Amino acid sequence: MEIMAKVAFCVYTLIILGGAIVAVTSSSLVRALVGLITTLVGVAGMYLLLASPFMAFMQLLIYVGAVSVLIFFAVMLTRAELGGDEAGKVPMKTYVYGLAATMTPAAILGWLVMTRPVQSIAIPTEVAIKDLGHGLLESYFLPFELISVILMVAMSGAVLLTWEKRGKK
Amino acid sequence: MSALTLYQLVALILLCAGLFGLTQRRSLVGMLISVELMLNGAGLSMVAAAQLTEFSAVLGQLGTLFIMGLAAAEATLVLAIIVVVARRFKSARTSDITTLKE
Repeated sequence: MEIMAKVAFCVYTLIILGGAIVAVTSSSLVRALVGLITTLVGVAGMYLLLASPFMAFMQLLIYVGAVSVLIFFAVMLTRAELGGDEAGKVPMKTYVYGLAATMTPAAILGWLVMTRPVQSIAIPTEVAIKDLGHGLLESYFLPFELISVILMVAMSGAVLLTWEKRGKK
Repeated sequence: MSALTLYQLVALILLCAGLFGLTQRRSLVGMLISVELMLNGAGLSMVAAAQLTEFSAVLGQLGTLFIMGLAAAEATLVLAIIVVVARRFKSARTSDITTLKE
């Protein structure tokens, strides 16, 4: 069983890695979006491995279901010209600066994670959905309400921003 | 290497892929995709840290749920902003819409 968990971890890591590479480097935004969805599904698998199936379900529901569709709408609504928004080479300077800006936190954080291992337990804790519900409706009631307010404000703001008066043109 | 370290390294890879994409992308939609990658890295890191240590697992999972909710709100607003920008500038490329330097 231990071996199976390791194999599953490796498979999900490969899925995440491949998806992330496609999402970042692809010159077509639709392909980048497909890469992002692959990564999201891989992360959902990681949640399953961490013994939190509810999080995996939410990941699929919110990210793969809702956020990806929103990004797809963004791709559709910005009339991408023939070559696509991302066509053409990136200047070498941007590439080098971007690599430096990425490698610095990667090196520092990676070094910290590798050299200062935290005492961890081998078997992930299992959390009943009931406990999550209790947490949401008792201790963390205010953040729960605030996030609904934020969602409502964001959605009404989005509708207001994109509202076009009829007959204006 | 402990399991927690491995999960944190995967989360770090996601963060760095997002950062790299953020610097390389030339359209607002591409940058939004990169930001989603970074947020996913944060969520994975939090759940792994909460599940594999003595820390309260409920708190970690709720935090990640809040990250997901915020990501949904953020994606909604960014979509609206991209649509408005694309309508006004007829493009969503960042090089076309930087007017402050002029």
